[in-house]
Amino acid sequence: MKSLIAGMLIALFGAASAPAATAAEGVLRWAADAEGGAPYVFRDPRNPSRMVGFEVDLMEEVAHRLGLKAEFVQNQWDSLIPGLQRGDYDVAVNGIEITEDRKREVLFSDPYFVTYEQITVRKENQDLQSLEDAKGRIAGTLKYSLAERILKAQGGIEVRGYDSQTTIYEDLSNGRLDFVLLDHPIAVYYGNPDPRLKSVGRPVGDMTYGIAVPLSNAALQQKINQALSSMKSEGKLREIYDRWGIWNSRMAEAFQDYSPSKKATELNEYLAAMGRTQTWRQQAAQYWSYVPLLARGAVTTLQLSAVGMILAVALGLLLALVRLYVGGVPGFFAMVYTEAIRGTPLLIQLFFIFYGLPNIGIKLSPFVAAVIGLGMNYGAYEAEVYRAGFLSVPRSQMDAALSLGMNRWQALCHVILPQATRVALPPMTNDFISLLKDSSLVSVITMVELTKVYGQLASTYYDYLGIGILTAAMYFVIGLPFVRLSRALEKKFTKGRPHI
Amino acid sequence: MFIRVEGLHKNFGDIPILRGVDLSVRKGDAVFIIGRSGCGKSTLLRCLNGLESFELGKIHVGNVDVQMSGGQPLSERQIRGLRNQFGMVFQSFNLFPHLNVLENVIKAPMVVKGLSRADAEAIAVPLLEKVGLKSQLFKYPSQISGGQQQRAAIARALAMNPKVMLYDEPTSALDPFLVDEVFQVMRQLADEGMTQIVVTHEHRFAREAADQVIFMEDGLVVEAGPAEQIFHSPKDDRTRVFLRKYA
Repeated sequence: MKSLIAGMLIALFGAASAPAATAAEGVLRWAADAEGGAPYVFRDPRNPSRMVGFEVDLMEEVAHRLGLKAEFVQNQWDSLIPGLQRGDYDVAVNGIEITEDRKREVLFSDPYFVTYEQITVRKENQDLQSLEDAKGRIAGTLKYSLAERILKAQGGIEVRGYDSQTTIYEDLSNGRLDFVLLDHPIAVYYGNPDPRLKSVGRPVGDMTYGIAVPLSNAALQQKINQALSSMKSEGKLREIYDRWGIWNSRMAEAFQDYSPSKKATELNEYLAAMGRTQTWRQQAAQYWSYVPLLARGAVTTLQLSAVGMILAVALGLLLALVRLYVGGVPGFFAMVYTEAIRGTPLLIQLFFIFYGLPNIGIKLSPFVAAVIGLGMNYGAYEAEVYRAGFLSVPRSQMDAALSLGMNRWQALCHVILPQATRVALPPMTNDFISLLKDSSLVSVITMVELTKVYGQLASTYYDYLGIGILTAAMYFVIGLPFVRLSRALEKKFTKGRPHI
Repeated sequence: MFIRVEGLHKNFGDIPILRGVDLSVRKGDAVFIIGRSGCGKSTLLRCLNGLESFELGKIHVGNVDVQMSGGQPLSERQIRGLRNQFGMVFQSFNLFPHLNVLENVIKAPMVVKGLSRADAEAIAVPLLEKVGLKSQLFKYPSQISGGQQQRAAIARALAMNPKVMLYDEPTSALDPFLVDEVFQVMRQLADEGMTQIVVTHEHRFAREAADQVIFMEDGLVVEAGPAEQIFHSPKDDRTRVFLRKYA
């Protein structure tokens, strides 16, 4: 669903031309989604604070040849092209296929890698060698992928779409699926290592990856093409693909290079790191080593949520006051705002703020856009919470305050607000905790917060449960002080009310 | 006359509530307004201190004159002028529940007059002592009786140093045995020369404490005069019918 919406938004906002990349001097900023997993760009299982992958090696080399320093930028895969158009980085490189549709949005370098879809089955399977044999069988693949389209076009196959490749191969080995069709590099890293599985048959389909460059930067495209071409002729590309164990028949055809592959050192090290059995002590140490990374994500989450909530409280208070005490046309607009924002998804609002507004010349940094998005969204909810709080205070309290000579503002601040706050605090705390978790949505606009770190780590280690529990605990811990604070405030505002 | 009201008209939407009320109050007098519920007596009090606007008529209090002839609401200046003259006591006390007794009394002097807490307390504590709440300063409204709450509300109004005290059925929400402690305070204020206007159904108290009694019906003053006259020899038939039924 998320990818679908993202696709629609790319179509909506992507068409307009974006400002040219404004990279820092001497740096080539390249974007990928490290949640996509091995062997593209992923966290090194031996040292999770490091990014590795064949695309990391590729971009290091390309940047080096351009006399630049490569700098990795994390962004959600769906958002890689909108972010490129926005000028958040110079290029996007993450298994992005060169297609006609995308060519209207961005420039592509010459292909740096070609591959195909690979069929993987259980070891004992003898009869399934090609898609033609697969009628009536159950296939697993990634949602919205080329493989999914091929399977559906084939017809007669029951296709199950997944969000993550690790679970697909697990379901194949435990018998839920009859076969898996996925990109060859993924099969190499996630399917073949499983002793119960094997890859079979001829290559299916064609995939050609290119480095995406903004439409406005043909000069960079040229330079990258030169770098790629020299890397190809000097055997540098082949060396990288050999090391990662993903050199394949299509590459051999494309490069006219049929010599046998050299040792896949990176693949072997990866498999060794993943396959080693651990004592519980090592396992605990392993989990402990994730904590600093998760904590860094948690700090971002906390910053986003705290600033977002401050904004939401201020905005909500303003909206509630305008609706209750100003009324008229401003009151009507406050109501329309509340209804419109509450009635539309936060994800789309974030997309609009981050990728849409640059079209009218407003380009916000990811943090500012995230905070504004969260603040504006939750402000609409807070408005209703405060309105309920204000309405819970009897009118006679306002009469009493006015009759003592206070003006309406003084009466609001000193008499109505403290009483309304008491009523509003519990739902406000609810909203804050909810915001803390909703803040994970901002990973679509290049922010790396707690959930994103979790996704990256989990896809590197295939460990969604253990790291998931660790992440959940982190959320719980950072939410706790606010729950406590709210309870203390509630107590303060409940003074003299014995029964409530 | 310290207070003069002439031809006061007030509607709620299409419904006329006051239909030309005239009223005069001498300085230091205790004026009691009686009449059925809905006759407009509470609305009259609320118009006097500017809690309600009115369509037509004139209010004169001390050196403040407010005259209305169109539908426009009272201006901020007019409201301020009226409000400074009056303190108001409500049927349901309307103490601020989140503040203790002392804080209830010092809030307005601090917020409106900008007094320091110490200066405000120097005003508030003697007032609370006067209404017999010296030992309850730090109790919250929910922790004291209705009679005590109403006395605290009187002290709260007095702290703004009003020229006239308005009471809107001050004892209607009280248990019968708590009524007298509130009247006691009002009597004491009368003795000190405070001008007071009281809307009430307590005819017994009106008879004994009023300098002037006003009977209202259907948004009009039917009859006004000394307590003796209104309660013993009313001139108007409507007064007679009302008193026969409710006195």
